[in-house]
Amino acid sequence: MLSIKNLHANINDKEILKGINLEIKAGEVHAIMGPNGSGKSTLSAVIAGKEEYEVTQGSVILNNEDLEDSAPEERAHKGIFLSFQYPVEIPGVTVTNFIKTAINETRKAKGQEELPAKDMLKLIREKADLLEIDRKFLSRSLNEGFSGGEKKRNEIFQMAMLEPKLAILDETDSGLDIDALKVVANGVNKLKSKDNAVLVITHYQRLLDYIVPDFVHVLHNGKIVKSGGKELALELEAKGYDWLK
Amino acid sequence: MELKDKLVSSFLAFENKGGLDLDSNVHELRLKAIQNFENQGFPSKKDEEWKYTNLKPLLKNDFCLFPETKNPVGYKNIREYLINEIESYTLIFVDGVFSSFLSDTTHEECDVCVLSSALTKPKYKMVIDNYFNTIAKENNSLAELNTAFTKEGAFINIPKNTIVPKPIQILYFSTGSENEVLLQPRNLVVVGENSHVQIIERHQNLSKNTTFTNAVTEIFAHKRAIVDFYKIQNDTNASSLVDSTFVSQKQQSVASVHTYSFGGKMTRNNLEFYHEGEHITSNLNGISILNGKQHVDNHTLVNHKFPNCESHELYKGIYSDKSAGVFNGKVIVQQAAQKTNAFQQNNNILIDDGASINAKPQLEIFADDVKCSHGCTIGQLDESALFYMQSRGIPKKEAKALLLFAFGNDVVEKIKIPQLKSRITKLIAENLGVQLGFDL
Amino acid sequence: MSKFTEDDLKKELETKEYEYGFYTDIEADKFPIGLNEEVVIAISKKKNEPDWMTEWRLKAFKVWKEMKEPEWANVHYKKPSFQDISYYSAPVQKPKLDSLDQVDPELLKTFEKLGISIDEQKRLSNVAVDIVVDSVSVATTFKKTLNEKGIIFMPISEAIQEHPELVKKYLGSIVPQSDNFYAALNSAVFSDGSFCYIPKGVTCPMELSTYFRINEGGTGQFERTLVIADKGSYVSYLEGCTAPQRDENQLHAAVVELIALDDAEIKYSTVQNWFPGGKDGKGGVYNFVTKRGLCEKNAKISWTQVETGSAVTWKYPSCVLKGDNSVGEFYSIAVTNNYQQADTGTKMIHLGNNTKSTIISKGVSAGKSQNSYRGLVQVGPRTKNARNFSQCDSLLMGDQCGAHTFPYIEAKNKTAQIEHEATTSKIGEDQLFYCNQRGIDTEKAIALIVNGFSKDVLNKLPMEFAVEAQKLLEISLEGSVG
Repeated sequence: MLSIKNLHANINDKEILKGINLEIKAGEVHAIMGPNGSGKSTLSAVIAGKEEYEVTQGSVILNNEDLEDSAPEERAHKGIFLSFQYPVEIPGVTVTNFIKTAINETRKAKGQEELPAKDMLKLIREKADLLEIDRKFLSRSLNEGFSGGEKKRNEIFQMAMLEPKLAILDETDSGLDIDALKVVANGVNKLKSKDNAVLVITHYQRLLDYIVPDFVHVLHNGKIVKSGGKELALELEAKGYDWLK
Repeated sequence: MELKDKLVSSFLAFENKGGLDLDSNVHELRLKAIQNFENQGFPSKKDEEWKYTNLKPLLKNDFCLFPETKNPVGYKNIREYLINEIESYTLIFVDGVFSSFLSDTTHEECDVCVLSSALTKPKYKMVIDNYFNTIAKENNSLAELNTAFTKEGAFINIPKNTIVPKPIQILYFSTGSENEVLLQPRNLVVVGENSHVQIIERHQNLSKNTTFTNAVTEIFAHKRAIVDFYKIQNDTNASSLVDSTFVSQKQQSVASVHTYSFGGKMTRNNLEFYHEGEHITSNLNGISILNGKQHVDNHTLVNHKFPNCESHELYKGIYSDKSAGVFNGKVIVQQAAQKTNAFQQNNNILIDDGASINAKPQLEIFADDVKCSHGCTIGQLDESALFYMQSRGIPKKEAKALLLFAFGNDVVEKIKIPQLKSRITKLIAENLGVQLGFDL
Repeated sequence: MSKFTEDDLKKELETKEYEYGFYTDIEADKFPIGLNEEVVIAISKKKNEPDWMTEWRLKAFKVWKEMKEPEWANVHYKKPSFQDISYYSAPVQKPKLDSLDQVDPELLKTFEKLGISIDEQKRLSNVAVDIVVDSVSVATTFKKTLNEKGIIFMPISEAIQEHPELVKKYLGSIVPQSDNFYAALNSAVFSDGSFCYIPKGVTCPMELSTYFRINEGGTGQFERTLVIADKGSYVSYLEGCTAPQRDENQLHAAVVELIALDDAEIKYSTVQNWFPGGKDGKGGVYNFVTKRGLCEKNAKISWTQVETGSAVTWKYPSCVLKGDNSVGEFYSIAVTNNYQQADTGTKMIHLGNNTKSTIISKGVSAGKSQNSYRGLVQVGPRTKNARNFSQCDSLLMGDQCGAHTFPYIEAKNKTAQIEHEATTSKIGEDQLFYCNQRGIDTEKAIALIVNGFSKDVLNKLPMEFAVEAQKLLEISLEGSVG
């Protein structure tokens, strides 16, 4: 599904990613772990197409299509979803209005009709229930005054609504207490299928107790220095990252 | 004769009286200034900038323009107005004349002396030519009037990399040698690169006679300089003050002007900041605690011209009896001044019916990537808090004072000289009519 | 497809033509240009007005002659030459019509282009429309339904004939002839406008609406609106305006007077999208409007405005809170683009005890435009327990525009409680990226963010207007938001 080949990326002329290679197939869950500053968040931003990052070498290929010239919204239309580490506040725009716009824009890009209001409402209710989201929450301004847990739950709610092919969860566990973490992980697990894939980016192993990865990769200094099964995560938890340097 | 005519016709006499160098550039500046003043006259309420402050009653006085000191002033007369708890340089002027006997000046690491000698001595010609009257605004007719009659005041010239070891106190006394006196002191403060200075200024009337002080201060803060300027305004009800202070800042400098207005019949503070570089910080703090028929008008301008600068403005006002407060704060962010952070806050409490506040906080923004905000509130004391305190045995007056002090405290907290802070705290207690030490 | 950047958007905005810039070819009955006593008398005669009205106009004209055009606002423009304007222009077809079928088909087409087909209005939104085209009411609908309730809703020219006692009593009572330069001009030459009277205790069963439209080139439009809500009554009034694209600047100097007697409530909503001028700053409407309301005891007046049009706007819908416990509200969105200039805001004059006012003002500036908020909150010395809350927010798009805030706050009573806040911000890159990542392109994202920014005001509009207003915001900023 996703194929990253020899990816190099800069920000402000500083090289952060120094040759990443990664293959993700449909139905798989991958985890990328690594110490602070190893390039984890850069990798997710580059996949999503954030403009500040300049890809100097290599490519990101989604379902045999090179994403190089795709704008962030086009990547989203093609099925890439990024759960932000720090979701952005948009005052005055409700969660419902935002997700409605996102879904209809995606449909429009695919040449589909807008989703009728009735169906939209039904879908929103269904997914909100899945993630144990209070209805009142849906009429609040997007991320404004949300607690850390609410923000992350809202991200997963949007993911549930948009049904992406590849979901990237960037430090989704940060700022979550254990109960919120379980709800979020539970939501992700329910949404997982043989047709989509999940890339979990995390500093700690904690989240991986709940979203069990098929593969774990260790990112260090802009490169994947080790890959393995889920047991690698436990090893990292026990030994830290130093032994890999 | 109208005051304006009297001033204009006295100008020649003033210049010819001696002691002034008529060949200097300053003479040219004076000439231009008196013409400007003659053209503009005193501001009236029709001027948007003077909408809420009426000078007219004050200008009706028959001011003596060149008073002579008849009453000798000794240390015992002025002691209470000095902050004695700290070592400091002092510049003391009596009826516009420098008192070397009472002052403590220096020329060692830096110049803390008088403007009259700076204006005439060749040694200072460069400094005067480069700085004197370069930021005082031509459209400010009162500043022009001051320029025309500039003769005396503080001259503070700090070379680069100098941390002035002790604060400088500047005090202007009026002895009431005539019934109605007009004083026009002029300060020039030049702070070199990497230098620090702290200045405390005060105008004080020692008599019951009418005094009108039209003061101008120009402050230049060079690269990375730090300037703290404290203005204590606690004059008598026979005294009026128009203070125009202009601050020019170079990159990475930090300039703070603190204004404490507790007294005086009519006080108008024009405070203007101009930026000449990036990463500048300007701080404007003020607190007014007024009663009787006192009137204080704080008129501020921060002109952001360069990127990455900050300004923080905080003015508080507590108005009792028939006193009147005016706050007019203007923040301009010019197109080039991206990444500006400008904050302005003005909070007021009206204690009595009859007291009034007119506020006009303005933002003029021409750059998009900025963070600017202003807030202005008018309210009264929290009655439930008052009752709560009374029920714990604190008398109403004291309870009120405690609450009011708490209201103004974030301005007082910004004072960096501990002895000055306790003096200001004491003055606040006095003005709130209580004997309380707030610094617990 | 390459990324749609803010720069692209700006370019698109520049090339965007005024959507309503068409000109209806209706024969017009037009006065020669210029203004003097004879013209004032002629206007009055043309409308068959009683002598007292003619006198009233002449008095205003005398005052106006002595007045100077105000210069204090933060706007710069070439002053109109008042002798180069025609002060009367009415469609030749005589306007008294019983049904829409009798309306000039050209005119109906015009309305269709505006998206305000009268049929549709009637059928869908249950709105009574008093349409003013170039100063004369052309069609009045729903008269019957209103008649049954005793509600008077008619062109003011008719009200002068049919209800002289009400007009005499209230016209100029809150905006006197001498109030300001433009109000005086309007008082002298106003051509028509709407008159509305809601009897005691009556709740008007529908939204009353007027569409103003400037049509004939070189004509100034001077409407006069008078709304009287008698004791305990309620009315919601909608006003919408468009003007076709013309090269000369067109002057619009309207006066609106609202009178809310004891316990009455008036809600007055405006959507204004007159021609803003071209991308080069040429042409466009000068909109110099005086709007003021008087609140008696327990009364409430609420002004809501969405201002996206006009080259120069000068407008301060105000409330005089005379009666105890009365309430004034002002909700405003002003969007300026290209070379538009807006100086708008409100005055809340607190005279009665326990009076309350709320001001929410949102300004969006783009292009090379200048957008100013100017407001006054005044509490008199004998006014107890006055409350005001003001929030003025500005959003800047691009570094060529300006946003300005000039609030005046005057409190003379210790029980006054006033809070004023203002902020300035831009649309954040991180907000745009977040939207992009969810599949929303930048243009749409900007629209979404602007709508969110304006939400507090949009929420105050009646449903029928909210959708149109949202559309207008989108049109004036980018042209494709939903």
